[in-house]
Amino acid sequence: MKNKSMIHLTGYLTVKVSGRGLERFINAALREEIAIWHVKRLGTETIVLRVYAKDFASFQELAAKFSVEFVIVDKSGIPFVLRRAKKNAGFIVGLLFGLAILYLLANMIWDIEIKGASPELEYKLTNQLKELGVYKGGLKYFVDDPQTLQKTLTQNNEEITWIGVTIDGTTYTFQVVEKERPEEEEKTGPRHLIAKKEAVIVDYFIEKGEPVVSINQFVRPGQMLVSGLIGKEDEPEIVSAKGKVWGKTWYKTEAAVNMKTKTLRLSGESQVKRFLQIGSVKVPIAGFTLEQYNKKEVIEEVIPIQLLRWELPIAMIEQTIYEAEEVEFLYSEEEARNLAMEAAKKDLLRQLPKDAKIVDQKVLHEQVENGTLKLSILYDVIEDIATEQLIR
Amino acid sequence: MAKSFRNKLQQWLTAKLDLPEDVTMDIPRITMVGQLHVYIENHNGLISFKETEIRVLLKDNQGQLLVKGHDLVIKTILPEELLLEGTIEQIKYIKDDQGENR
Repeated sequence: MKNKSMIHLTGYLTVKVSGRGLERFINAALREEIAIWHVKRLGTETIVLRVYAKDFASFQELAAKFSVEFVIVDKSGIPFVLRRAKKNAGFIVGLLFGLAILYLLANMIWDIEIKGASPELEYKLTNQLKELGVYKGGLKYFVDDPQTLQKTLTQNNEEITWIGVTIDGTTYTFQVVEKERPEEEEKTGPRHLIAKKEAVIVDYFIEKGEPVVSINQFVRPGQMLVSGLIGKEDEPEIVSAKGKVWGKTWYKTEAAVNMKTKTLRLSGESQVKRFLQIGSVKVPIAGFTLEQYNKKEVIEEVIPIQLLRWELPIAMIEQTIYEAEEVEFLYSEEEARNLAMEAAKKDLLRQLPKDAKIVDQKVLHEQVENGTLKLSILYDVIEDIATEQLIR
Repeated sequence: MAKSFRNKLQQWLTAKLDLPEDVTMDIPRITMVGQLHVYIENHNGLISFKETEIRVLLKDNQGQLLVKGHDLVIKTILPEELLLEGTIEQIKYIKDDQGENR
């Protein structure tokens, strides 16, 4: 039997043939070795058949000899598809080009994220990655797989304990875990620790040195707390004394609160004014004829105008102007005292070092004078009272 | 006379040597696949072709072969081979004594 797999390669025509004695025409075609197939009768004098494109010339000749008419119904096979494609070459080239670009862009590295690295290391890694082909605009083809990248980076950088490499589409993410190095200790010279203020020792923690005070001992400023001389008395070893000595110290503060205060209160009336901001110029666009308030609060809201991802230099400004009233306010003595103590405590905490704690507070004196409450308060604070003194 | 002598010789040889007849002689070989296909080898051209009936001339005055059915389509036609497709209902040999057809 005939091998039909080649039909599409050579191309064939579907032809409608009409005339008398079509059987004889077919027999003649066979004798001429014109391959014919898929012969179908349509009417008494019409048939449809298929013939190879290469045989078409002899088919035409034969048709003329038998005086039969024919019409080409369809052209099939690769040669015809190609011929048609040639006509639409521009379109196809464009399509292929578009696909190629899409493919290229999809394989490009668009973003590189390095997480968990210090700025110096990040800079170093960025440069190394550039050499390895990982940079914005680079192609993923030329980059090793994540495992190899991970290995290379870990080997090249001693300060990295582990680096995780993930590719998420067009983004490379590097999760860096840096080796933690102990902070280098400052070299300190030989020294004692002495008290910087009057205090009662509450507790101490000495890393180095010989404590010369005990708990509950009262110390004055300048008094030695921890000695830098340790060992035998006649041949002492000189060290840099180090440690914390917690002492209870006292702070006396004065606070004054005006019991009569004036505040602004909103009446509930408001009006809106709108501006268009172009660059740094504000152009009012709505709310020209507004009544003027004596006292007012203005809240401004800027609405930037965005175009896709970009912010335009044009913005809408909406000003809401609230009418305000001045209200006089009188605190009770109790309220005023609370306010004053709160304020004083805050103030003190701001002055103290971070690790200091206020443990007690006492109001020593309280006086109302011309509507003002004056307080003097004593605070008990526990803080590190040690300071260094060099041994010469 | 010479032809019939050759025929006889061929027949005799085929019988004696146990050769398949369709190979040595121009006898049609017809293969059917259910009602779907008829495959005819050793034909000698079409006589008539309709959707319901096809007549095929056979070689060496063996007459005609008539295939009846419906929706008949000539799938392939080559000088000696013919593949019919459709719903085949009957196949019939028609001997004509005139020797020459049409």
